[in-house]
Amino acid sequence: MKEEFKIAWRNLWRNRRRTIITAASVFFAVFFAVVMRSYQLGSYDHMINNFIESFTGYLQVQHVNYQDNPLIDNSFGYNDSIVSAISKIDRVVSVTPHLESFTLASSGTQTKGAAVIAIDPIKERAFSDPESKLVKYRITDEAVMRLQDADALPDEIIEKLKKNLGRSYSSSARVELELGLTSEDNELCMPDILKYSEVSNEFLADDDDGILVSDKLASYLKVTVGDSVILMGQGYHGISATGIFPVRGILKMPSPEIDNKLIIMTIPAAQKFYDAKGKITSLVVNLTDKSNRTIKTAKDRINSLLTDKNTITKTWYELNPILYQQIQGDSQSGMAMLAILYFIIFFGIFGTVLMMVSERKKEFGILVAIGMQKKKLKRIVSIEMLFLGAIGLVCGLLAGTPVILYFYYYPIVLKGDMANMMEDFGWDAVMPTAWFGPYFYWQAGIVAIMVVLATIYPLRKIGRLKEIEALKS
Amino acid sequence: MKQYFIYLILATGVSFNHLSAQDLSATEIVKKADEKFNGEKSSYSLMSMTIIRPGWQRTIDFKSWTFGRDFALTLITAPAKEAGQSFLKRGPEMWNWNPSINRLIKLPPSMMSQGWMGSDYTNDDILKESSVVNDYIHEMAGEENIDGRVCYKISMTAKENASIVWGKQIRWIDKKEFLVLKAELYDEDGYLVRTETGSDIKVMDGRTVTSKIKLIPEEEPQNLTYIEIREIKFNIPVEESYFSQQNMKRVR
Repeated sequence: MKEEFKIAWRNLWRNRRRTIITAASVFFAVFFAVVMRSYQLGSYDHMINNFIESFTGYLQVQHVNYQDNPLIDNSFGYNDSIVSAISKIDRVVSVTPHLESFTLASSGTQTKGAAVIAIDPIKERAFSDPESKLVKYRITDEAVMRLQDADALPDEIIEKLKKNLGRSYSSSARVELELGLTSEDNELCMPDILKYSEVSNEFLADDDDGILVSDKLASYLKVTVGDSVILMGQGYHGISATGIFPVRGILKMPSPEIDNKLIIMTIPAAQKFYDAKGKITSLVVNLTDKSNRTIKTAKDRINSLLTDKNTITKTWYELNPILYQQIQGDSQSGMAMLAILYFIIFFGIFGTVLMMVSERKKEFGILVAIGMQKKKLKRIVSIEMLFLGAIGLVCGLLAGTPVILYFYYYPIVLKGDMANMMEDFGWDAVMPTAWFGPYFYWQAGIVAIMVVLATIYPLRKIGRLKEIEALKS
Repeated sequence: MKQYFIYLILATGVSFNHLSAQDLSATEIVKKADEKFNGEKSSYSLMSMTIIRPGWQRTIDFKSWTFGRDFALTLITAPAKEAGQSFLKRGPEMWNWNPSINRLIKLPPSMMSQGWMGSDYTNDDILKESSVVNDYIHEMAGEENIDGRVCYKISMTAKENASIVWGKQIRWIDKKEFLVLKAELYDEDGYLVRTETGSDIKVMDGRTVTSKIKLIPEEEPQNLTYIEIREIKFNIPVEESYFSQQNMKRVR
């Protein structure tokens, strides 16, 4: 056996160029498959994590019926001790109570349906952080007029401002981006623009009885900070919930759909409004990562902490099955892309093997003619292929590793509208690669299988070898 | 309690017009039953409504004044969170006054099919109650026994141009006292939507009435709403001007 290995090794290096070409085809196959999959998984994962972390959370404690029937009747009693108990569980990042319902919001003659989310102003900072979404600057008619009067800005910038009339921004960086000023203009004009367009806005105090209204809803209702909004809806156990709430601040929500209907208030105010003493509809739990193991252990441990039989912990994919299926679907289409890549790669490897066999046909013929057993010859060729595959595989993985590492730590930064949108949501506009996981070995495994498949051809060829024909060729 | 006894004493003295069945058409029976309950001219009543849902129930107390068929004023007196809300009905329109938000709201047609105060009664039920006489074609469908009382069974089909949600009703009206003991309400496709029953027959303000009305929706049989009449007075001195938006805010 040792001898066979020796012969195989020598055979490989007898025709160095052919060996390198074959090994290179395996190398590129592994390299591309690993890097592509890592990139696919990583960037997609990043987006999903962002989405889950700011919308549903990884886990939610809810009343058992809440998901099917999101009524305030399906709420549950809550206290700080359960929050601190859950916070202590391994890998839990944040625990945020929510009390969510729908009501009518009305001011003057305008009325509109609104999603009311009651929060704990301090705890919420770790989750959706509404404070960062408060409108800081608004380009109003008045602001533009005053800027014109002050005569501090060139006309073209006034024109740009007029194009963005009525827009609101939650940071000065966003104003800059939207106006698209040159850096010179920027330094010159921004202080004035910011000065005149600044809006005063407050966040909710701990036991505030006021509300925050999303920008589009506020402009529909024609309310600003200091005005009042009437809320009318159904409270706990069908009681009529009505109340007047002062507007403390206006929020600019990045999603237009949410911007059209969001009202935020404190949990105590909402409990009073809905007559739901001490109740909330969900506890949103964020974890360090969304691996199955982390989610499952955290879920089990939270479930064991829950004393109320009517409450249950649900995972993000139970809460949002459509998103989950979409992710699965996208992952499948990524796999399909990979399958096409594999297909091309396989024929690359197979082509070089084919070439090798036809080149060595005479050699095989001579070997068999002078008495070498076909069995032995097959073994030697198999070992050769094994070496080739191993060299390509190892080199491919070694070459892929630094690329994956680099893009994991220094991910590709997105630019343009897509990036703006992501930043609006408070997400990083980057596309990182995925850390080494099962996918890494899988790609290597699949390429190894392809090498084995490609080996079948020379073995069959040797099996059917007719010495005379081979010698004549 | 004292009052109740007085009514009892009075009631025993009242001799009711005993009309024989042959003299009455189905329409007249329905009309009689309707007037008996709502008063020929006006009425005042003190009621409580209990809403029963799987897992919880709650009771709302309210006072109600009616005048003719077109005017009604209802004031919620309990629970405290909802007390002071009032509802005004003038003809086909309905308003709601809510003191906690200082607002008078006209209930739009889109809200007519929604539950009144979260009960199984819809706003439309409260508005259109009086049209049982005018909006239906009544037909005698025989006699049946309900709770040991002999009843006319009257089938009522909605008139073609009437704006009512029901396609058909069947009412069982007590022969002697003209009390609606049972009513089945069907939609326009002929499916049973809900059943109402009247029970706990008492004499109040000189009239024998069913003091408990129960409503069972067919599709959610575990849901239930019943109204209990605590006190009722018929033909009280009240004027049309009483049923005004100003009075909605004042009435106690």
